[in-house]
Amino acid sequence: MSGLEQDAERLQTMYYYMVLSRELDRRIWILNRQGKSAFVISGQGQEGVQVGAAMALDPTSDWLAPYYRDMAMVIAFGMTPREVMLGQMGRAADPSSGGRQMPSHFGHAAKRILTGSSPVSTQVVHAVGLAWSIKLQRQSGVVLTSLGEGSTNQGEFHEALNFAAVHRVPVIILVENNGYAISVPVEREMAIQDVAMRGQGYGIPSVVVRGSDPLEVYQVVKEARMRAVRGEGPTLIEAKTHRYTAHSSDDDDRSYRPREKLEEEKRDDPLVMFREWLETEKLWDSEADKALYQRVKKEVDDATEYAENSPQPEPGTLYDHVYGSSPA
Amino acid sequence: MSDNGLTPELMLDMYYHMALARAVDDRMWILNRQGRAPVVYTSNGHEAAQVGSAFALNRGEDWICPYYRDLALVLAYGMTPREIMLHLLGRADDPNSGGRQMPAHWGHAKLHILTGGSVVATQDVHAAGLALASKVLKDGRVSVAYFGEGSTSQGEFHEALNFAAVHKLPVIFFNENNGYAISVPARKQMAVQDVAARAAGYGMPGVIVDGNDPVKVYEVVKEAADRARRGEGPTLIEAKTYRFVPHSSDDDDRAYRPREEVQEAKKRDPIAMFETKLKEQGILTDDTLKEMQQKIKDIVNDATDYAEKAALPDPATLGDHVYGSL
Repeated sequence: MSGLEQDAERLQTMYYYMVLSRELDRRIWILNRQGKSAFVISGQGQEGVQVGAAMALDPTSDWLAPYYRDMAMVIAFGMTPREVMLGQMGRAADPSSGGRQMPSHFGHAAKRILTGSSPVSTQVVHAVGLAWSIKLQRQSGVVLTSLGEGSTNQGEFHEALNFAAVHRVPVIILVENNGYAISVPVEREMAIQDVAMRGQGYGIPSVVVRGSDPLEVYQVVKEARMRAVRGEGPTLIEAKTHRYTAHSSDDDDRSYRPREKLEEEKRDDPLVMFREWLETEKLWDSEADKALYQRVKKEVDDATEYAENSPQPEPGTLYDHVYGSSPA
Repeated sequence: MSDNGLTPELMLDMYYHMALARAVDDRMWILNRQGRAPVVYTSNGHEAAQVGSAFALNRGEDWICPYYRDLALVLAYGMTPREIMLHLLGRADDPNSGGRQMPAHWGHAKLHILTGGSVVATQDVHAAGLALASKVLKDGRVSVAYFGEGSTSQGEFHEALNFAAVHKLPVIFFNENNGYAISVPARKQMAVQDVAARAAGYGMPGVIVDGNDPVKVYEVVKEAADRARRGEGPTLIEAKTYRFVPHSSDDDDRAYRPREEVQEAKKRDPIAMFETKLKEQGILTDDTLKEMQQKIKDIVNDATDYAEKAALPDPATLGDHVYGSL
């Protein structure tokens, strides 16, 4: 192992990020149902993948090109709960887009999180371009981009992976396979068992990993990162994971996913599994857990209040970042 | 004979279409260099892959979605040399597009040759769509998309293959891998040795075949078509071949590949190799060959004369097929 298993503090931090993002996510749903937040895209169930991956990177040299479900990932990479809430409520100080883009369109230039657009899998092309520039400029970082398994059916996925393989760029493509492309189950999206099988068609090493185990994800991302840094090119990682909520706050998954299946998926909850592992390793107990949830609640409350009291964008700035000066 | 269904007559007919295509192709280049044809895309070197595959299909019934290099394919599928020349010279009677599209944009509704766009790999999507129609209509037809290896790097290739596999469509994806995407060698185009390696990522069989052997191509396409008709879904076939001349009449391949490589490849000229094989098997004699060559020469001359004398499109028809009325 890469030492993480001996590092109690980092393991506890890992768990903290998972709990923090789960609680923040739950709060966002409440705000949506109260009419205070426009739209929610949830990462509940995928925290193990996202936190494990982000912590295997170096936030001082690496870049993220995330997708809309990656709240836990951007938090573990340095975005604060306040920043997430500012984006969620479309406030002027939102670092993702100053309240312009839809919620969950994460971006943070100072924290090396690339902004993205709504068509799925465009971020894969952007990540490969970014990685190519890192290679050409002989910088030391790598780029990690993530996407759902549904996005792997898009042409952009194909073009990006092919280009990345030919030019051996330092990129990690992380597929968070939660079994559903909105309402379409994976068996109706593709005629193969594993997305990872696509790697061989590009000459890219591919790994399947259990998404509910952040340590396993951490390990494979760490290895992929080392490969990329050594100039050996891209890696495709498929993390098998679960989405515990509907696709978004405008979706009702009861119409396509039986409740029994969801209950079964919840038995593989990364938060529960990881807490139990920490307890087995004597790195955690119920006291510590209680204290953590209290701390997290305060942070979530603070982020909510902070964003709610924060000003909306000035209407006079409507054209900023779109036109040089107002066309009117 | 072997049990692949190829009689001596069919094999001779295969050879005839390969030789005819080469002769039409050679003439097109001459017309271009004389300033009479605007641009040429060649099938020179690809004849075995194209003719072998055409003979394995239910010609006129199954749909083909060719790419610009498929002159030999469309000839074997029933397009006449006169029709080819009408198209090359952009005449009104061109069945491909009435002189509208660039040369080598094949299309012939009656022969079930689907018209295409210039953007490479779009025909892959069209073929998948045709196959979906066949599945829904239960018409027993198979559709085939033809494309170069360069276009397998396009997103459309990926989307078409994935969709075809999920829906188990009666479609064949036929790749003519000649090693160059215009000037880009395959090793700079993809990090894998074989296009066929991509099939596993979609859950369909990927088959590699010697594209210079029309009989082998015929056999693998036949098998893929049978599979498709049984409802077992798509197949990706990669025919390894070589392009003996530049990408088009506006390209000079001396800038990107050594002459020695071309000379080496020409030792495996599909027409010469098939000729030797047919002679060895007693299917082709020197006399029949001589007769055939004369016939081809006459046909090519006739097609050239016919097209040159044919009328250009009437300027008043400019808006036809584009707007209801101008």
